Amino acid sequence: MKILVCLKQVPHKDARLELAADGKWIQDANIKFEINDYDNYALEEALRVKDKDAATEVVVVCIGPDRVQQSLRTALGMGADRAVQIWDDALAGTDSLAAAKAIAAVAKSEKPDLVLMGLMSDDTNYALTGPILAQLLGVPHATGIVSAKLDGGQVEVERELEGGALEVVKVPLPCLLTAQTGMNEVRYASLKGIMQAKKKPLDKKALGDLGLDKGAVAARAKIEKIYTPPKGAGAEILSGSKDEIAQKFVGKVKELGLL
Amino acid sequence: MAKTLIVGEIQKGALRESTLELVTAARKLGGEVVSLVIGSGVGAQAEDLAKKGGGKVLLADDASLANYNLDGWTRAIKRAVDAEKPDLVLISNTPIGWDIAGALAAQLDCAVASDVIRLETEGADLVCTRRMFNAKFDARVRLSGTPRVVTMQPGASEAYAGSDAGSVAKLDGVGGQNRTQFVEIRVAPAGGHDLTKAEIIVSGGRGLQKPENFEAVLKPLVEALGAQMGASRPVVDAGWLPHEYQVGSSGQIVSPKLYVAVGISGAIQHLVGMKNSNFIIAINKDADAPIFEVADVGIVGDLFEVVPALVNAVKTAKGG
Repeated sequence: MKILVCLKQVPHKDARLELAADGKWIQDANIKFEINDYDNYALEEALRVKDKDAATEVVVVCIGPDRVQQSLRTALGMGADRAVQIWDDALAGTDSLAAAKAIAAVAKSEKPDLVLMGLMSDDTNYALTGPILAQLLGVPHATGIVSAKLDGGQVEVERELEGGALEVVKVPLPCLLTAQTGMNEVRYASLKGIMQAKKKPLDKKALGDLGLDKGAVAARAKIEKIYTPPKGAGAEILSGSKDEIAQKFVGKVKELGLL
Repeated sequence: MAKTLIVGEIQKGALRESTLELVTAARKLGGEVVSLVIGSGVGAQAEDLAKKGGGKVLLADDASLANYNLDGWTRAIKRAVDAEKPDLVLISNTPIGWDIAGALAAQLDCAVASDVIRLETEGADLVCTRRMFNAKFDARVRLSGTPRVVTMQPGASEAYAGSDAGSVAKLDGVGGQNRTQFVEIRVAPAGGHDLTKAEIIVSGGRGLQKPENFEAVLKPLVEALGAQMGASRPVVDAGWLPHEYQVGSSGQIVSPKLYVAVGISGAIQHLVGMKNSNFIIAINKDADAPIFEVADVGIVGDLFEVVPALVNAVKTAKGG
């Protein structure tokens, strides 16, 4: 079995995000990055298949400049076999459709039985690349899954709906699944894994290697501007020393008749 | 917008509120509005949408569409797009919406944006406003070319309240083979921790840093206030607390008299679950955290200093 796991590198959860001078993205020069949280669960799910069946090959792919190699090495350290980095300046700031086209080119040569990725990314929050990629590959998909049970030529998944309900769907292989957070317990890379990762192959592909040109990956959904949302009335912020704040807090609870 | 196609959704036998919100959004853009209702034996719901502003409603009614199915829905929407040639396809950003929107856009090879909260036309382009970076920033995203596919965040518009003559037309050729197979809907067993009837809820988030702090830091406040403990999604995802503690769109939807959010930044999925609380007090070290937008009262500070002070003050007030 061959599993392709699509990773995205996003700003670290605790990074202090500031707007870039052109107002079209964040300043990404001096912040820490990490693997998109949703994608960690997808990677873990793939590694669990490999744990049970040593013949399974897990290939990780990521679009991004050379800083993403660190995330790919982390994934290799966790147990993935090979990594592919896709980069071309034309891919900077592009949209879900273009990203899916670039990954599809890699997937078409890798011919995986299963493609796994996160439901969405923590930067753009689109949740679109997975379903687009599945369509480009001509395979069925299921999004936002919290469990996947491989059974011969198909996989039975639970999709998370609203209010804690789950939709159970059988999806034939090859297929693409996108993971919800909390789907499993994500492993850490072991020291041994990290050492081995240094020797594992990491290929870098440019657009030309993928049979694509700049026109094919031009964004049709273009971010014009990002900005801090206008503040509404907002909350009344309690001020003073921490004991004064605590007294005001008590006053509010009393006003509600709850104390 | 010359023509907008609304993809309707049915929930528990009736049109989803979010479908009527799409009607409002589509009408605001101007131009013709047509709709699509997909299911098995859903003629009445199509009639209903026609009367509620959906314009000409196409009815994709087939036994194979009784439950949501990726191929079945893609086929039905594609048929409607071929028949009506809309400039915009509007879908609600629901578990169906985010499963289908990308697939449809790929089939139509067109621009797509999800979870949009506002739509405007600018010349030939459609400009979408949506959140990014987990609601830290808003973005304006310009979609060029036609058609385009947009999913709208439920609750972003008012449900359309007008009435209309409308009409219903059956769409043919919507049955067929589907690759994926629906098995069942599983409703998670009700946990022993029902937050929906709680008067006071004190919820903790990732800001508590580790599971032990729910016991050491949060629980004293829960007990002092006679509250129930809740949690945000990352806490449950990390296995710090069981799912029955989760407040949010995929957990419990609560509306207590007082909701205290501790170390919760306020991701949309959490806000959906608690914004209808009677009174909200938020404690967070980041003054820009989205939680302060829905809170009535905010405390900006280190929860590890603030919360123990609150516990003392509440105990003193109670005469303990």
